[in-house]
Amino acid sequence: MKQSSNMNPKWAEENLQTIRTLMERSALYRRALAPILLLAGVVGLVTMVVGLYFHLDSTRQFCSLWLGAAIVAICGSLLLARRQALKDAEPFWSSPTRRVVQALAPPLAAGMILSLWLTTIRDDLGPSTSFLWILFYGCALHSAGFFMPRLMRRLGLLFVLSSFGFLLVYGVLWKTADPNAHYVMGIYFGAIHLAAGIYLYLTDKGKNAA
Amino acid sequence: MNPEPFLQLDRVIHEKGRLAIMSLLAASAELSFTELRDALEMTDGNLTTHIRALQQEGYIAISKSFQNRRPLTTCTLTSAGRKAFAEYIDLLEKIVRQNKPK
Repeated sequence: MKQSSNMNPKWAEENLQTIRTLMERSALYRRALAPILLLAGVVGLVTMVVGLYFHLDSTRQFCSLWLGAAIVAICGSLLLARRQALKDAEPFWSSPTRRVVQALAPPLAAGMILSLWLTTIRDDLGPSTSFLWILFYGCALHSAGFFMPRLMRRLGLLFVLSSFGFLLVYGVLWKTADPNAHYVMGIYFGAIHLAAGIYLYLTDKGKNAA
Repeated sequence: MNPEPFLQLDRVIHEKGRLAIMSLLAASAELSFTELRDALEMTDGNLTTHIRALQQEGYIAISKSFQNRRPLTTCTLTSAGRKAFAEYIDLLEKIVRQNKPK
């Protein structure tokens, strides 16, 4: 770069902006996000169908089914991320991955512990459990979203805000007729994940690696 | 306008490609060659040339290992590189500050 072209003060400002953008981009997790969201969506929808078909409606059955689904989705996501890392000859446990896991873990663990506790109280707490999961999952996604593309933070916010909307509707409209919690979980953890995965796949194609 | 801060800018960092590499490494503990290449959309040859220049200056350290029998090259910023990058940013900020209308 020639010195004369650099003597423009505007250039220094632009350079600082470029550095900021690059540093932010470097810290973002992008690996296999669309496939992970698609997998989570499919697991959510299949779990909803299983729950409805076998009438797994008691709190214990509901929590066992959806916790099982969460474990399947988490393990599948880790495998997808690992496969992508191997394919790209990159370290799996990279610093963006570490940051995302550290942000996700506390709210997810809190939601899981609370829901396990609910199974010991009463046997008809399916809707309350789904509210808790949507809320805590939204918090997890929102905090991890600071280290991922913007869509993930928005998705987290959508989960958090709509969980309160769901609670309101549940409290006001469905006092007499309980909504089936499997439908709620299927819509949130199935349909919304699937929609986000398709959106990311179409808009971020080819950039799904960290 | 005082041209002195411009003249103090580190010539090694002060190149678009190398500045981008330094910026990415400053935000991550380490990055693999492919991560850098994909993030910056550089060719292998171009990236290798810039990495070599930064390595010769002692700004970045390269480590080569194997991951599942495939070679893995990772780059990290050395303490000298971190210091030089911080000084470079300080100078840019100084230039911006001195040219802001009072």
